[in-house]
This record gives sequence, structure tokens and C-alpha cells, in this order.
Amino acid sequence: MYLIGNISIYLGIVISLYGIIANIVGIKKKSSKWIESARGAVLSLAFVASIASFLLLYLLGTSQFQYKYVASYTNESLPMAYKLTAFWAGNAGSLLLWAFLLALYAAMVVFSKEKKNPMMPYVSSILMVNILFFFTVMALNANPFEMTDKIPADGKGLNPMLQNPGMILHPVTLYMGYVGLAVPFAFGIAALILKRMDSEWIKLTRRWTLLAWLLLTLGNVIGGWWAYLELGWGGYWAWDPVENASFLPWLTVSAFLHSVMIQERKNMLKTWNVSLIILSYILTLFGTFLVRSGILTSVHAFGDSNLGTYFLVFMAFMMLFSLYVVMTRYGMIKKDSSPIESYFSKESSFLLNNLILVAAAFAVFWGTMYPLISETFTGTKVNVGAPYFDKVMAPILLVLIVLMGICPLIAWQKAVFEKFMKNMLWPLAMGVATAIILFAFGIKGIYAIIGLSAASFMFGTHLQEFARGISARRKATKESILKAAFKLTVKNQRRYGGYIVHIGIAVIAVGVISSHSYSTEVLKTVDAGNSIKTGDYSLRFNELTEHTKNGNGVVVADIDVTYKGKYIGKIKPEKIFYETWPEPSTEVAIKTNWSQDLYVVLSSWENKDKVTFMVKVNPFVSWIWMGGIIMVIGTAFALIGGRPTTFRYQINKGISRVGG
Amino acid sequence: MNRKILMTTLLLLIIIPGMTTAFTYNSKEFKHIIGQLDMQGHADHELSTCSVKKIYYDEVVEMLNGGKTEPEIIQSYVDEYGQAALRTPGGGTSGWIAWGMPAAGVGIGSVIVGVWLRKLTVKKAESKLETKAAWNSEVEKEIAAKTFDEERRKLF
Repeated sequence: MYLIGNISIYLGIVISLYGIIANIVGIKKKSSKWIESARGAVLSLAFVASIASFLLLYLLGTSQFQYKYVASYTNESLPMAYKLTAFWAGNAGSLLLWAFLLALYAAMVVFSKEKKNPMMPYVSSILMVNILFFFTVMALNANPFEMTDKIPADGKGLNPMLQNPGMILHPVTLYMGYVGLAVPFAFGIAALILKRMDSEWIKLTRRWTLLAWLLLTLGNVIGGWWAYLELGWGGYWAWDPVENASFLPWLTVSAFLHSVMIQERKNMLKTWNVSLIILSYILTLFGTFLVRSGILTSVHAFGDSNLGTYFLVFMAFMMLFSLYVVMTRYGMIKKDSSPIESYFSKESSFLLNNLILVAAAFAVFWGTMYPLISETFTGTKVNVGAPYFDKVMAPILLVLIVLMGICPLIAWQKAVFEKFMKNMLWPLAMGVATAIILFAFGIKGIYAIIGLSAASFMFGTHLQEFARGISARRKATKESILKAAFKLTVKNQRRYGGYIVHIGIAVIAVGVISSHSYSTEVLKTVDAGNSIKTGDYSLRFNELTEHTKNGNGVVVADIDVTYKGKYIGKIKPEKIFYETWPEPSTEVAIKTNWSQDLYVVLSSWENKDKVTFMVKVNPFVSWIWMGGIIMVIGTAFALIGGRPTTFRYQINKGISRVGG
Repeated sequence: MNRKILMTTLLLLIIIPGMTTAFTYNSKEFKHIIGQLDMQGHADHELSTCSVKKIYYDEVVEMLNGGKTEPEIIQSYVDEYGQAALRTPGGGTSGWIAWGMPAAGVGIGSVIVGVWLRKLTVKKAESKLETKAAWNSEVEKEIAAKTFDEERRKLF
């Protein structure tokens, strides 16, 4: 096992080196044999990475504590699911996962129907450079198949916080998103190297980019959900450096997904799009660097690791290489683009949306790195915590929501202001009505009201767009509403998939704004038989009991909950004491309904009749998860359907030629 | 008389604690102060399992009950740990840079996009004049309408 594991890692290095060389020789000699051979190397890499990955899974599943990695992250009593998910609990395993996913993606790319595309050797080389890096790092610094000096009787076990279903999905989805961005990056660079300045690379990578974005979205939402359930502080997003690092590429890819539409239609923003995809890819490396380097304090960081240096060097190399390629082709990229016809057009609004998304990314990056910058340049140690990001990001994201409400109403090429205002009427009325209703119900907090009204306006815009589309279709085809709605969305999957995503964002915005502005928290000590009152809830504490579960001590509080005087059931917050972990873990008790969560944490106890609870009422948190699901559905919808719109540029060009 | 004094004393003992508001973890003032403190990186930890956070909580409550005001409490931590005591950058050059940079970023970005838009946008004089098609005859108009209709059907 030891040999197979180590050989697979070293083989990974050798094969990826061979693949890169074979591609270079194939390109130089114009030899399809060498190119074929390089393609075989990619397949071999996927095979080798699979062997290494399944071997590690086997070692983890069978508790082979002679391996350092297995002993560090698992123990005998750990449930099988978590033994296996310990694969990505530590540095070495997560690097192997990364290499495995990258190799798998690379194989899928080079054996796709575009395998004969002249870009492919370049694409596979770039992907193999990435794979080579990960295998090299594993071999030199973080080998998952390293042996212990002395075989322990039992392993250290897995951090209790990671023993949650969310942890099965959150890292994997994020990694798949990160890795997925390497594909459009490789295609973008390949197109530049080949001086193919058309939109072909965008067409070829549309699904890859969307898939990466979908997985980043899913990863971030699941991460928030896990934090909310598992960490016990009652929040879902702490603006932790590593959380920010996963949010950064999400923002830049969001900008990219919008700006490529302009390139597809108008053959514009070519430099910008290539820059955005390069930036997104570099940001994935930056995020990984943050996790591994430990230069910033984070709940996600892997401790005691000098891997950061490797990532820094690789990130610098890729950045310089990309910069060189862009610079040497800059003159060509600028050619052959058509102008914008009017300031007041969808093209302009997309530029604005890009500005806001990139500004948001810059603000997050700045806030994340500022403690380091401040200490280096001014000598002042500062923290940049959640309150900073809340203040800085709130106006930026508010503008983004408003823009999302306005953009769908603006026509391509040249919008007519009167028509635009006419279209704005209903969504605007919806936004204003929301504000009036909130005021009427005595809701306080002007900023929150503005935010909620903006979300409502944005939702109204998209609702109206659906309604108008259905109505127009029915006029033309006399179909029923349902049939018209179905046909409309199926025939325009990209557009309406995007709209569904926007609606998901509006739903998330309601959840985030409400839970941030109107959350209440009470920390109270009660005797058995007494109650805690907060808002419309009354919690009667009955008793504290102890029992054993999976060899761990569990302390459970039994609480009866009444809402507006009506009994709605029991909740049982817990504290679990693990033998392998110094700190007890908190199992939060949550009662959810459509408008609010009752969030109860068993905080501490003097004896079994005197207990302290933290009770929070978080409004609309469930909307965040619901919005996330809607976003995923919308993205999947746009992903499986939709055709590229390059032909529109050709048509436009043709028309302008005929007209001119 | 003695009974009156005893009764008055008892009454005062009952009323006075009620009149002096003791600060707790649930007090608005306490929450406002604690929300500003980084607590040596433990601010986002769960209170029940974080001893450092617990110490901070107790200290702040104690200081509030000892009659200290919010600025005094915050300052006492800044004196001890510097700006790192706070969750957000405070005053001074470092604070200004921290808060000003995102705004500057948005401003510079807006200028770049503005210039870019101006460069990309065709001047009105150069833009094509929209010409309205005039039909030569009703027949031609009908044929065109039918063609549009057919195309629409194909699309839908």
C-alpha cells in the first residue's frame, strides 16, 4: 500500500512532465502522434490520481493508523462516512483531492468532442502544469502516504465541527468550483497563444465556467449552512479570510459570466474577459495560498504549514506567464470590436454591473489583506472583522441589487428612455409598496428597509419579465399559461436561467438583510421549570440529562417551546464531549418556520437544575438556503440548455456591412 | 419607632437594587461594546466553549457595573492591545486608509468605466440614422406580415 501510494504520486509527476513535453514537441513538429501521446498522458494522470485517491479512501476507511494522515484525522469510533470525508480534513488529503479533480477534468476536456481542436494541446499543457504542481507539492511537502514512526493504538480523531453532513459537501463542491476555473483559464490562454481572438474559447468553456460558478455558489451556501448549524454563534458568514477567498472568485466569475455576453454579441471586451478569467483563476490559487500559509488567522486554515510558499511561487509564476501572454497579444485583442451605440443600453449596464462586481471583489480583497498591509507599511496592527465588511459591502451590494432590477429592462444597443420608464413602473411600485408596508408595520431601520425594498424591486422586475414573455408568447401561439411559461423558458434557457438565479439572489438578500438587522439574542440562566421569553417565544426548561452516544458523553437540555401562547413542540440543544477532543462541541437546536428561526444553544450549567442558554431569533434565515437552492436550479437550467450567441455578432456585422 | 426604621430599611433594601440597573450580557450597552472588540481573535467563537471570550464578557460587564462609560472601556482595551483590540480599524492613518480604499477603488473604477464607455460609444453624428421602411403597396405589406408570422411560428 505504501509503495503503491508513493509510486502513484511520483508517477503523477513523471507523467505530467512527459505530457507537457509531448505536447510541446507535438506543437513544434506538428506531429499528431506526439499530441495523441500527450492525450494518453492526461488519461494516465487521471488513472494514477484515481488510484492514489481510492487508496487513501481505503486506508482511511480501514483505520490504517500506521499512516500519519489516517492517524491524524480519524479514529476507531468515527462513523464510516466521516472516516472517508477525513480525505479532505487535512493538507495532504485535500491536495490529493485537488489533483484528482484536476486530472479528471483534464481528461474530460481532452477527450471531449473538441479533442481535435488546435487549442487542445495548449489547454492540456496548462492543465498538466497545474497537476504537476500539485503532485510535486505532495511529494515534497505533504505526502498523504507518509508513515508514522510508531503505530498508535488509535487515531486522534476528526475535529467534531467537521462531523456534519455539510462538511461532506462543502469542501468538495468548493474544490470542484476552484478546479473547474482552471479549464476556462487554460482555454483563454490557449486562444491567446494561438492568436485566435474570436469568441470560440468562450463558447467552448461556457458550460465549464457555469459549472464552476454553480459549484462555488453551492460550496459557499453549504458552508454558510454548516457554520450556522455547527459553530453555535448564530451566524452563517463571518467574513473570515478564507470565506472571503472563496467569495472573491465567485464575484469575478459572476462579472465574467455577464461580460462574455457582450463579447458574444458585439465582439467587445476581449481583453477584459481574458483578464477576468485569469484573475478568477489566480484568485483560486490565492484562496488556497491563504488556507495553507497561515499568514492570516482563520477558522479554516490548516495549521503549521509552509505550503504557502509553494503556492505563492506558483501563483506568481502563473500570473507572470498570463501577463506576458496578454501583453504580447494585446494589440490583436483590441482589433475587430464593434462600438456601443448608446450610453443607455444593456451593453453599458453590463459594464456597470462588472464595475460593481469587481469593486466588491476589490473591497473584499482589500479588507482581507489589510491587516497584513497595515502591519507591513504603517507598523500598526489592526483587525478587519465582520463589522468592517458589513459597512463597506452593504452599499456596494445594494447598488448591485438595484442594477439587477434595472438591467433586464434596458434594451440592447439603444434603449428608449420613455419605454424604459414604462417598464420600470410595476417593479418600482412593488419596491415602494414594500417600503410602505414595512413602515406601516412599524419596522425600524432605514437601511434595512431600503435594502428590502431594493430586493423587492429586483424581484418585481424579473417577475414582470416572465409575465411579459409569457403574455407575448400566448398572443402569438394561443397556448395556455403553463404551456407558454414552459415553452418560453425552455426556448430561452440561458436568459431565463439567469433570471431564476437573480430571483434566488433577491431571496437571499431578504434573508441576509433581515437576519442582520432584526436578529435578537438573549443569554439567560434559568432553573428547571422556569421559562425564557424572547419575542413571541417562550421556552420552558424542563430538565438536563446525560447519556452516551458513539462512545461520547452527551448532555441534553429538554425544552418546551410555545409561540404566541401556543405549544409548538420540544427542542433539545446538546453539548457533546469527545474523548479525542479537548473542547465539547455544540449541537444547536433550531425551530424553523418560513419567517424566522428559533436558535437555541446550551451554553453552560451550574448543576442539572440551573442552566444557561443562548436564545436567538433570526428572521428569514431559511430564505438564504432557499435562495441558494433557487440559484442552483437557475444555473443548472442555464447550464443544460442555451446556445451560444456568437452568431448574433456575425448577423450584426453583416447588417452593418450591408447598411454601410 | 424601631419597627418603622426596620420596615424602612427593609423596603429600601428591596427597592434600591431594583433602581440601580445592573448591566448583564443582555444589556444594549454591553452588546454594543462587545460587538466592537476583537477579543484576541475570539470574537466569533461560541461563548460557552471559549474561555477567552468569557473573560472579556465578564470584564466588560464588570467595568460597566463599575460605572465606566463605553469610550472609557474601549479605550482601556486600545491602551492595552493597541488598535488590534478592535474588530475594525479605528482612527489614525491606518484607519483612514482602510476605510477610504474601497471608496477610492469604486471611484477610480467608475472613472475608468466612464472613459471606456465614452471611447466605445459611437458619437451621435456617426451613428446610423434609423430609417423607417415605407411599403410600396398593401400586397408587399401583407407578404411581409405573413413572413414575420411564419418566422415567429418557427421560433416558437
